[in-house]
Amino acid sequence: MNERELVKRAKAGDFNAFTTLVNDNKNRIYSLAIKMTGNAEDAEDIVQETFLRVIDNIDRFREESSFGTWLYSIALNQTRALLAKQKQTDLKPIEEYLPTQTAENLHEKSIPGFFEWKDPHKELEDEELKKIIDKTIDSLPLKYKEAFLLRYIEELPIKEVAKIINESVASTKSRVLRARLAIREQLSKVFEERYGKKMFRLR
Amino acid sequence: MGKKCLDYVNDLNDYIDGQIDSDLYQEIENHLKQCENCRIMVDTLKKTVSLCRENKELKLPSLLEKKLNDVVKKHWQKKFEE
Repeated sequence: MNERELVKRAKAGDFNAFTTLVNDNKNRIYSLAIKMTGNAEDAEDIVQETFLRVIDNIDRFREESSFGTWLYSIALNQTRALLAKQKQTDLKPIEEYLPTQTAENLHEKSIPGFFEWKDPHKELEDEELKKIIDKTIDSLPLKYKEAFLLRYIEELPIKEVAKIINESVASTKSRVLRARLAIREQLSKVFEERYGKKMFRLR
Repeated sequence: MGKKCLDYVNDLNDYIDGQIDSDLYQEIENHLKQCENCRIMVDTLKKTVSLCRENKELKLPSLLEKKLNDVVKKHWQKKFEE
C-alpha cells in the first residue's frame, strides 16, 4: 500500500495504517532529531512528540505536501521548541570562508585550511572521525544545521527543504552553502591540528 | 584565490551537485583549471558531505521503539476510540 493510501486510511481511523506510517518513518525522524539535538534523550522526546502531534492533526493534513515533508516540519517544530532556550550564534558571510590574501601571496600554497584532504579514514580511527563529524555538525546554529541535514543527509531537493523550513529557495540555498562551508572549515582545522598538513597534502 | 573566486562562491553547491546551467558549469571548470585553492575548496566540500553522510542511518533503540508504540497507541485510542 502506498503512502497516500495509508494516510487516507489513517485519517479514517485505521490504526494499522497509522502504525505502518510510524514504522516507515520513525528511524528517519530519530536520526534527524539526534543530529539536530546532539543527544539521544532529546531525540526520543522529539520522535514521540512528533507522532503525537501527527495523531492530533492528521485530519487537518491536506496532502499538499508528502507525508514525509509534513512529518519533517512537525519534527523540526518540536526541535526548535526544545532548543529555543539555547543561544544561537550566526555563521560568517559566505565570502569570508575564502582565504584572504593579497596579490603578493596569491600563489602562496600554504593558506590555513587550504590543503587537500587525502583519505581521513586512513589517518583517523573511524570512531574518532565519527565523533569529530558529529561534533562539527552539532556546533552549527540551528537554522543552518536543519537546512544542511535536510538537504544533504536526508537528501531532499532544495525546494522541499525550503518548504519544510518555511524559507525562500534563495535563502535556503544560502543557508545550506554556509553550513557546508562552515563544516568544511571546521573539519579542515581539526585535521590540520591533529595530523599536520603533511598527511593531508597530495604533494 | 583571485577576484574571480568570489564571483563563483555562491554557485559552488549548485556546481558540485550538478544543478547548474552548462555555460556557468563550463566557466567554473575553466576557473578550476587555473585556481588550486578553488580546486581544493571544491574537493574538500565534496568530501565534507560524503563524510557527513557516513553517519547517516541511526536506528531507534528497541526499548524506545516499544515505548513509542505504547504511547502512540494510547494517544490514538484517546482520539479515535473515546
